[in-house]
Amino acid sequence: MVRMYDVLVVGGGVVGCSVARELSRFSLRTAVLEKELDVGLGTSCRNSGVLHAGFNYAPGSTRALLDVQGNRMMDDLCRDLKVKIKRIGKLTVAFDDEEVAELHRLKEQGEVNGVPGLELVGHDRMQTIQHGVEGVLALYSPSSSIISPYGLTIGLAENALANGAHFHLGQRVTSIASQERGGWAVTTASGDRFSAAVLVNAAGLFAADVCRMAGITEHEIYPCRGEYYVLDRRLDGIVKTLVYPVPKKNSPGLGIHLTPTVDGNLLVGPSAEYLDDPEDCACSRDVMKDLRREAHHLMPEIHVTDYIRSFSGIRAKQTPPSVGGNKDFVVEDRKDVKGFINLLGIESPGLTSAPAIAAMVRAMVEHHLPLAPNPTFNPVRPGSALLFSDRPAEERADLIAQNPDYGEIICRCEKITKQEIIDAVRNPLGARTMVSIKYRARASMGRCQGGFCIPRIVRILRNEFGWSTADFLKRSTSSPLFVGTVRPGGEGTER
Amino acid sequence: MSAREFTCVVCPNGCSIVVEVDDDETPVVAKVRGNVCKRGEEWARQEVENPLRTIASSVSVSGGDFPLASVRTTRPIPLGKIRDVMETIRQVTLAAPVEIGDVVLVSPAGCDTEVIATRGVGSASRDVRRAAKAKGGMKE
Amino acid sequence: MNGRERIPAEHRSVVVVGGGPAGLAAAIAAKEHGCDDVLLVERDHILGGILNQCIHDGFGLHTFKEALSGPEYADRFIRKLRGLHIETAEGTIVLSLSPDRVLEVSTRGALRRIEADAVVLAMGCRERTRGAISIPGRRPSGVYTAGAAQNFMNLENIMVGRNVAILGSGDIGLIMARRMTLEGARVEAVFEILPYSSGLPRNIQQCLNDYNIPLFLNTTVTEILGAGRLEGIKVAQVGSDRAPICDTERFVPCDTLLLSVGLIPENELTREAGVAIDPVTSGAVVDDRFMTSVPGIFSCGNVLHVHDLVDWVSVEAAQAGAFAAEYAGSGRRTAERTISVVPGAGVRYTLPQALSGDQACTLSLRVQEPWRDRSVVVTDNGREVARKRMMRLHPAEMIRLDIAVEALSGCSSLEVSVG
Repeated sequence: MVRMYDVLVVGGGVVGCSVARELSRFSLRTAVLEKELDVGLGTSCRNSGVLHAGFNYAPGSTRALLDVQGNRMMDDLCRDLKVKIKRIGKLTVAFDDEEVAELHRLKEQGEVNGVPGLELVGHDRMQTIQHGVEGVLALYSPSSSIISPYGLTIGLAENALANGAHFHLGQRVTSIASQERGGWAVTTASGDRFSAAVLVNAAGLFAADVCRMAGITEHEIYPCRGEYYVLDRRLDGIVKTLVYPVPKKNSPGLGIHLTPTVDGNLLVGPSAEYLDDPEDCACSRDVMKDLRREAHHLMPEIHVTDYIRSFSGIRAKQTPPSVGGNKDFVVEDRKDVKGFINLLGIESPGLTSAPAIAAMVRAMVEHHLPLAPNPTFNPVRPGSALLFSDRPAEERADLIAQNPDYGEIICRCEKITKQEIIDAVRNPLGARTMVSIKYRARASMGRCQGGFCIPRIVRILRNEFGWSTADFLKRSTSSPLFVGTVRPGGEGTER
Repeated sequence: MSAREFTCVVCPNGCSIVVEVDDDETPVVAKVRGNVCKRGEEWARQEVENPLRTIASSVSVSGGDFPLASVRTTRPIPLGKIRDVMETIRQVTLAAPVEIGDVVLVSPAGCDTEVIATRGVGSASRDVRRAAKAKGGMKE
Repeated sequence: MNGRERIPAEHRSVVVVGGGPAGLAAAIAAKEHGCDDVLLVERDHILGGILNQCIHDGFGLHTFKEALSGPEYADRFIRKLRGLHIETAEGTIVLSLSPDRVLEVSTRGALRRIEADAVVLAMGCRERTRGAISIPGRRPSGVYTAGAAQNFMNLENIMVGRNVAILGSGDIGLIMARRMTLEGARVEAVFEILPYSSGLPRNIQQCLNDYNIPLFLNTTVTEILGAGRLEGIKVAQVGSDRAPICDTERFVPCDTLLLSVGLIPENELTREAGVAIDPVTSGAVVDDRFMTSVPGIFSCGNVLHVHDLVDWVSVEAAQAGAFAAEYAGSGRRTAERTISVVPGAGVRYTLPQALSGDQACTLSLRVQEPWRDRSVVVTDNGREVARKRMMRLHPAEMIRLDIAVEALSGCSSLEVSVG
């Protein structure tokens, strides 16, 4: 059986989900094919969670255009999708004359790009924005923000789903063929077949591979890993504003810095290291050491017990290490390959740009398919961006009285309730891995890293949802949590 | 003849004890040194000639609010018998409720001990059983 | 706290936070010392805390002169608690604690606000994680803290793996090596970064040597491998600076890595209440009544400092509970702290950090490294006040040293050192 769609989006990262959500405004049959068991498990959940203002990119570039547009769209989008966002602004700090000159250039460039509110601030003003910042001059960009990157991806996907888009998880595309009568035939690793008039390549680190399947050979992706540390929420509130060094020419990233997250942690990173394997999300001894040293330099009050986790994400760069720097995003409706919309090399600021990319893709799709409005489209996702524990006490008291599961804390570090776990398990996409629960409920993201809550979550899933030991996967089918039972029986419903 | 070294576990002094052993089919202690007290010597001798261990494990419980009841031997058993006793323990399934101290096995694998439950397991409440049958959110 | 006034407050004399061995003993002692209004709050659905999953024997040798399992040891206290009709709230967690001893408490069906005359903190500790010790490598499944694996095995009937490596030779790691072996897993080895094991000698013998499980000292895990499930680890010997020596690195195949790399007192509530924390113990600074720097807030058990024997947790917590009852019943009278206590040469920490001098006390301390045939010496401005000769001093074993009230007279500043 071939599942037939109007548009197939390859890749369920923040870009693919943005496209699906945008297209769900119209009466189109749209589907996302995602190789992992959930959306957003690639680069979209492994980054700084920063929305960039858009002054770093050359005027006229696709990146500059999409970043500024995307940033502007985020307030409404996050309100509708119940995603955490904080407009905390950013200081880009200069230490010498050369850097000061660069700041002036960046300000002019930003203004040409349409970045709002840019301001050069002296030492005193810097101190009122962020106490303790050193430097002679800073560029203040109030539209620089922090966001929950997985929250946004999940929100986009769930809203797209609610508006009729389909999500096929665990479907790795293995072949793409153009059909004689037009359109595409797509096969996945599980042998399932799909067809569509338009194919959108949003495959991130694998976008060049998807291109090659469609006969497009000129692109190459060079994976470039960035490692991070996550710091304890004890330090929440110390960093009020993003503080970055002036970007170095030809550097693959923006340099190591401290980034607060919307959940109250601090991130240290990212490093930049080219590698061969686009999925090698490891952390390495030397980089971890550098990050700790840099973190201590940036914030001497960091204690050794404040490091609660490390992780890495991988940038989909188009430039090899010998060249360095960045290349502009590829956002193109291929003239030579009909119905192939190519979104490639969407590294930073891909998160910020995603909604603007989606709007651009919508305009491209319109060249191929008639777009009639979806009469039932609802941009609003139900629920709240707030965790239960962030709500006012009297509201919590009322909710607990109505639903006792709100009174039972499962994750003690982040104060996540049983009801929030149950909601995460029952997520509309049907994602059923432990990281799916983690990214939705925030359970196990605190200082004990799940030591307390994971056994309790497992108990809920076995006793109340009937899972057996084989059903527990960390992230993929190849990452089972358990190997069986100690004694026969005692599995889920048998109890 | 060989020498075996132990850190005595009889008291917090933790003497380093050396036992000289005549290694035939069954080891025989020739000499014990390094111990401060007589209890240490007896312990070391025992460790070489016939070490005894208490073991703890779990048995299945059906219809309980926990799937397992923990158990232990009431008396130490010979080290060499542990695997046999474990095998016997593995075969046991108790029906809830289980009370702490319930005798689960008598003379397992011929050892002079009982195996008792070390935790109580209540009967599963009706809520738990009903919830277990509801498969909402269950894997497809 | 938002809307704090809008939730009506209950008043209690003594609230004990945590129903593990420390909380149980504290609540019992508070009641036995005349407080009729004791509430014990436990976040789990059953009392006993971590003892419920510690099914091995060896608990209660001092208290009951018997080698009980963890659940049995807890059960002795739970029966006593029930016999004294002490009110307990299971499935209940304290969300916040203010310096004026107002607790916000969440339970199934209700958010409660409790004003207490005295609070005894007995929340225990948590395990250090992979993140806390920065092990490089991938993030496959199959990496567990030893305590989490113990919970899965002993309470949930779940086997976490078949081929196991263990990092850290603390007691939980050693106990799990035996437990998993007895259930059919193959334990490849235990690796310890220190030049000595941090477990009890009895556990080295009975959990490792009995099963021919090798213990590699001065060795640590340098990398975790595996994209899905754990496929193996790299280990290397470390130098005197504890940094890995590259050319000693080798691959150990395994599907499971258990981490037994230390425990951290769980003092987030304590910090929130403004209680001063000792940077070495990561627990509260207390006086000889186990009262913290915030009047009316007491601390005991593993939340105060990590113990190796539960018997001493019970002893310490009973004292804390008794003093909490005394404080609540005396119109909140605090004793004056006249004597400071600090660790000297060879001593990592000593506790309590301050004494009133009006009663005998027991110092708890740990040494920095192993020694044989040394003394623990307590001096007051250079004058010897107390001395305990010991054949064996080990960082893994807490030392208790009694000081008579007479010996404290005239003292102002005690230093505890290895002499």
